[in-house]
Amino acid sequence: MSDLILQTIVNAVYAASYMSLIAVGLVLIFGVMGVINFAHGELYMAGAYVVVALYAESGMPFLVAVVLGLVFVGLLGLLMEISLFRPLRDNPLGGLIASIGFLLILQTTAVLGFGVRMAHIPPPTQEKIELLNGVVLTHQRLLVIIASVALLSLLYLFLHRTKYGWAMRACAQDREAAALQGISLSQVSRLAMFIGAGLAGVAGALTAPLVSPTPYMGHSVIVTAFIIIIVGGIGQLEGAIVAAILYAFVHTFVTTFFDGVIADITGLLLMLMVLVIKPTGLFGAKDRV
Amino acid sequence: MKNLLARTRLDRRDFLSASAAAMSVAATGVVPKVAFGAEKTVKIGFLAPLTGAVAAWGKPGLDGCQIWADWVNDAGGIKVGDDSYKVEFISYDNEYDPGKARAGAAKLIKEDGVKFIMMLGGDTWPGVQPIAENEGMLVSTLLPSDLTPNTKTLIAPCEVHPIYNVTGVEWLAANKPDAKKAVICAQDDALGKPSVATYLAAFEAAGIEVVDDPLFFDPATTDFAPVMTRLLSTNPDILCLDTCYADYVHPLCEQAFQQGFKGTIISCTADFYPKIVEKTSKEFMEGFIFQFPDFDDPALNQPGVNFPKPNEFYAEYAKRYGEAEWGAVSWEYASIMDLWADAAGKAGSVEPADVLKAMKEGGTGKHAFGDAKWWGTELFGIDNALVGNWPVVVIENGKAVIKEFRSIPDWWDKHKDLMVKHMTALGQMWNQRG
Repeated sequence: MSDLILQTIVNAVYAASYMSLIAVGLVLIFGVMGVINFAHGELYMAGAYVVVALYAESGMPFLVAVVLGLVFVGLLGLLMEISLFRPLRDNPLGGLIASIGFLLILQTTAVLGFGVRMAHIPPPTQEKIELLNGVVLTHQRLLVIIASVALLSLLYLFLHRTKYGWAMRACAQDREAAALQGISLSQVSRLAMFIGAGLAGVAGALTAPLVSPTPYMGHSVIVTAFIIIIVGGIGQLEGAIVAAILYAFVHTFVTTFFDGVIADITGLLLMLMVLVIKPTGLFGAKDRV
Repeated sequence: MKNLLARTRLDRRDFLSASAAAMSVAATGVVPKVAFGAEKTVKIGFLAPLTGAVAAWGKPGLDGCQIWADWVNDAGGIKVGDDSYKVEFISYDNEYDPGKARAGAAKLIKEDGVKFIMMLGGDTWPGVQPIAENEGMLVSTLLPSDLTPNTKTLIAPCEVHPIYNVTGVEWLAANKPDAKKAVICAQDDALGKPSVATYLAAFEAAGIEVVDDPLFFDPATTDFAPVMTRLLSTNPDILCLDTCYADYVHPLCEQAFQQGFKGTIISCTADFYPKIVEKTSKEFMEGFIFQFPDFDDPALNQPGVNFPKPNEFYAEYAKRYGEAEWGAVSWEYASIMDLWADAAGKAGSVEPADVLKAMKEGGTGKHAFGDAKWWGTELFGIDNALVGNWPVVVIENGKAVIKEFRSIPDWWDKHKDLMVKHMTALGQMWNQRG
């Protein structure tokens, strides 16, 4: 039984790692720009397909493909900011609808470029660590965990120790006040989109060999990401990380000890419970009058 | 300059004259074809998921149908009465969504004038059922669990999914008698549940204990590590992947490999299995049991198999689309077309009611894997499923090999009570389904 629990903890840590990357990216975009980016799941998918194109089909080293996935999807985020979100800055609903349109464009592009079926990615490594008798952690999953911790730590340092990070936090707190202090909203929005999209892209790229990418893989991810940011508190980076860990552990344990379908229901109940008890989310603050 | 422009402009009289001349030319081009009736075309609807998670059970079937149509049309078409008909497939992607399937059926029947519709079925059939019944359209499904006493024009002439899965379990029990403990997982949908009931019945009939409740997972699942951790927690000898989609079978196998499973895997399908071998190892996949052969298998040339030129069909498929693209349904819709063309020839008509009557005449039919009978009243409330032999396929040295053809009716005659018991327990009998 202890082996089963330990293996489940290992599985949950992996799930929390990549979910945190995705959710933090989504929160960053919402916090700074006030836009609900429905295409965030498809940015995750785009990162996975960069690995398909560069690693599986062109033979580039896996880690190089992952880094290029981060950069490419970050640039996609920039493109979204410049072409969609900036013209619709004063129209949050317009931004949401534009992101749905972009979602469909990304999906269709993936279908045209790679076909409708799942892509096959040869495993970069089949090595694994045996933690205890029968409890295993593969190197591929360990890489996702390490990369997630490293990237989120870097993001924390960036947000708390650099001028641009302060500017982003200021915009997230009050955009008008930040603008009055001379902070360029356009510049900060571009940066937020690059980082937010890049985090989704790198999550897709890192997990691509573990999930068999399809053009439609963004659907399930975006639903989970929304549950996480609602539980954590919309716009709260620390909340997103804590909620991702909470959700991943609850979902993984319920799947292992009960059923995958019951786990989904439990995840939704968790969200409902938080909304009833603390409608602003675990880390959310009440709006000021 | 103004006059020149004015003279080059088309006036009303010139326009009418030119239009009349163009129409005359077009008419002279068309009339002789109609008058001599040299070539007729019958349109067949292909209403299946061509995109999305279930596309692996739609798109390869359409690809196979294109080969079938090219071969038939190159040979002069199908003979129906005194006429020869070329066959044209009109496809509609239902994305495995009942609403889109309904829209597709309406278009195919009312706009395109198709005479027969082939579907995957399952969750999409309820969307199509009302219009198919109203229009009297002959529709085929790969999933006989769609059949009820009311579905008079729905037939399951190729797959008796999931009933044929019993042949794999029967073979496993006979050839690996030490494997006694099994676990099952499936996605929670119209494909997964009846298949779970079938495997439960087959394991019980074979004396194999299912040591844990079947584990259902959400079709949106992407991380299968927790599912596999749970499945392997009871140290099973047999890991049953039910009728999981290809998108699930691959990561489930990978997880089983990574978490150190050493027993036997049994699954309804193993689409694109060379990729699973690539992600795991030949040794790990050795002995993997499933139900869908590669058609380059020499066993398909033996007497009694009715699918025409299976090895040539596989070679042509591999040439056109790539060997790795061969899947469970690549041949199935084409084999249904063989039955349909044969029945249309017998009926002397392509009209749905005539073809259906000719197809079911005598209560028997020529199934791809041998002569079979129309069956199903006890399970589906109607004898509209064509059932006979089905192959048991095992991966050996990285390649799928037919080990044996086993009789589904023989199993049914011995164990039908078990099947009805488990189907009833999971709410999958025809009178329990909503």
